[in-house]
Amino acid sequence: MDRIQHLLRTETQKLVLLGTLLMIIVGLSFASSTFLTVTNFTNVFLKVAVIVIIASAANMLMITGHFDMSVGSVLALSGILHAYMCKHGVPIELSILITCVVAMCWGAVNALTVAVLGINPVIATVGVLFIARGFAFLIARWDGGANIMTGLPMEFVDFGRELVFGIFPLAIVLMVLSLLVFIFVEKKTALGRLSYAVGTNIKAAKLSGINTVGIIGFLYMMVALFAGLSGVLQTSRVGLASPSVGNGLEFDVIVAIILGGTSMMGGVGSTVGMLLGALVVGFSSNGLNLLGIPFYYQSIAYGVILIGSLMLNHRFTNMGRG
Amino acid sequence: MDQSNIIEIRDVGKTFPGVTALKSVSFDIKRNSVHCIVGENGAGKSTFIKILTGVIKRSSGEITLNGKPFAPTRVKEAMADGISVLYQELNVVDELTIAENITLGQEEHKYGFPQKSEMLKRAKEILATFDESISLDDAVGSLGVAQKQLVEITKALCSDCSVLVMDEPTAALSLGETRKLFQTVARLKASGVTMIFISHKLSEIFEIGDYVSVFRDGEMVGTRSLEGMDRADLVRMMLGKIVVNEYVPSKKRSDEKLLEVKNVSTRKLKNVSFDLHKGEILGFYGLVGAGKTEVSEILYGHDSEGEIRVKGKRVWLNSVRRALKASIALVPEERRQEGIFGLLGIRQNVPLMRMGTVLKGGLISRAAENKLADHYRDAMSIASSNREHKVGLLSGGNQQKVVIGKCLNRDSDIILMDEPSRGVDIGGKQEIHEIVRDLANDGKSIIVFSSELQEVLQLCDRIVLMYDGEARCIIQNGDDVDTDFIMDVVAGKDLGQ
Repeated sequence: MDRIQHLLRTETQKLVLLGTLLMIIVGLSFASSTFLTVTNFTNVFLKVAVIVIIASAANMLMITGHFDMSVGSVLALSGILHAYMCKHGVPIELSILITCVVAMCWGAVNALTVAVLGINPVIATVGVLFIARGFAFLIARWDGGANIMTGLPMEFVDFGRELVFGIFPLAIVLMVLSLLVFIFVEKKTALGRLSYAVGTNIKAAKLSGINTVGIIGFLYMMVALFAGLSGVLQTSRVGLASPSVGNGLEFDVIVAIILGGTSMMGGVGSTVGMLLGALVVGFSSNGLNLLGIPFYYQSIAYGVILIGSLMLNHRFTNMGRG
Repeated sequence: MDQSNIIEIRDVGKTFPGVTALKSVSFDIKRNSVHCIVGENGAGKSTFIKILTGVIKRSSGEITLNGKPFAPTRVKEAMADGISVLYQELNVVDELTIAENITLGQEEHKYGFPQKSEMLKRAKEILATFDESISLDDAVGSLGVAQKQLVEITKALCSDCSVLVMDEPTAALSLGETRKLFQTVARLKASGVTMIFISHKLSEIFEIGDYVSVFRDGEMVGTRSLEGMDRADLVRMMLGKIVVNEYVPSKKRSDEKLLEVKNVSTRKLKNVSFDLHKGEILGFYGLVGAGKTEVSEILYGHDSEGEIRVKGKRVWLNSVRRALKASIALVPEERRQEGIFGLLGIRQNVPLMRMGTVLKGGLISRAAENKLADHYRDAMSIASSNREHKVGLLSGGNQQKVVIGKCLNRDSDIILMDEPSRGVDIGGKQEIHEIVRDLANDGKSIIVFSSELQEVLQLCDRIVLMYDGEARCIIQNGDDVDTDFIMDVVAGKDLGQ
């Protein structure tokens, strides 16, 4: 009994999310005939996978009290860079590797401006958001069009359409892997523990000799790497690279993280919560689509979810802040 | 000269929920004098000034200004009645010109267009009497701190200020600038302005003050004429009665010098030298602003000139990680901002300075964490419901024990403790003192920086007395320790060597 009470008290936000998620799923099953189909669930999970892969790293970053607005742009740039290189004769494996390295360089820029120079993360990473997006369009223009869709090698789509063990799409396998990695980081590694410390009190962290710059910088690079990988995956799955994909993805990521109970100020949060948050975001937007709700109502609903999740956070997660 | 009272304060008090910040203060301020207010941090000076200038409302008592009852509810009201403040943080807008700053908030308009005002004419005359090199059209951003103060003083005089409150006006000034400010003060006095002058620097108070009121622990200790007053007497009033008791020498103190600091200087410190023996508790004592914090900083992450040796080896301690590597750890002064990780439990706080103590094969071992947390909870009797208790929700004394525990887990040879028992209740204080003593008896070397003489006398084997950035002398603690001598030294009395 004590355990259950303890769980109710400490994990209230996750339980609320779980309840919401079940309600959405049950409700939609009755309201829409196409909801409970393999195709629809696959679609939802493919969308959620991109959010979760990036958010698992971004969640740890937010736990340090920092965030990254540039993930959507880095994803677009990575996708288009990968397609451009493949089209111009770079072997696919090498192209993926180079793209990941380039993505990490954007993370390094964020690390430099935010962690080393101390520039406000909103401003610094929005700067990168614009720059990376600009480069994405520029590369598309070099190629001579708005999108890169023709002239790609036949094997280009193999990576994105790969089925692990013949049934699981690679994106979903990567989602599960990134979740497992960051649950492990969160619970069992010094990096995870120190991230919480940095987010709780960065000044005390510095005076305790914790390498705050290294931790924040490393996480920025991980977030960018995961965004880059997602870009490659997405482009390769649809067989087309567009410089305008991933617009607003940063907000999907942040909403999933905040809904999951991670504090914008850092110090509190969990990977499992983030997953629940991402699922709520994914299923509710899928539901709104299926029910034929016009986009303007969807936009309103999205804003309400964002503000509501912050209020939920305020209620449950900021006790004892120093 | 008119020697009537311009301000009379009677039984003025201020209580905040749960705290009495000011207890029934009464004194008079004579017209056309420089009235100084002194006291250590938390003595109630700021609260008093805030009441006088309308920032906060008093809870009890009466104030009369020029014989009339005075109870400002807003800063503007106090200004209209002739009381202006020159804050330590200057209230000027760098982007505007001097003229615009002076008329800020009081611009004269005609049909919505600003007009050249009479006020500016006066401002020009007043400013010229202070410093002819400044023009009203200069941008304030191009001025130095001292000149910005002149702009603020001019602004105050333009609004017919008869009482000017100066809150630590010299804190950011160079020696030359301070001299100039004092000339201004003399000129203001000659022109009939009464000044209330707050400063931690006693030499300044003796130089320009006529009267001094001493605050201590929210109470008024007394008001005296500064003429013929002895500096040590003033310090005695500020610090109150010192009860010396229960000093026990550290048992393991050896002659081995663990830390040697030779002629170290910074902007604030002048040629500071001292050494720390193994197993010793060394104290640093001085008034606010004497340089104690700066000494802790040069040993933990700040740049300095001079020589520092740990175990005979030359070290550079200009980053926290270098200091930790040299086996120096710090229990910081501001516990909440610099010490604890409030959202995390005791279990997560304790190992943070040395994660290696809870890692097994590179991974965090919950068993090792639990063991460590329980060890410190036991050893220091940290009052908490369990090891997951969020540290931010513990009492001040228990938070401090967690910070000390985190620091001890680092297992450094030298432990710096800046104000180890500030904001801790009496019981917690005793416990923390016990912990410090036990540490020394375990062979650790400890430096305590404290602004409480009582604490230093209870704990430390030797005491370094600081005054104005200098380590004036180092005394041996014992039954025969001369508190009068200590107060003379920290008050800046010349030792005549």
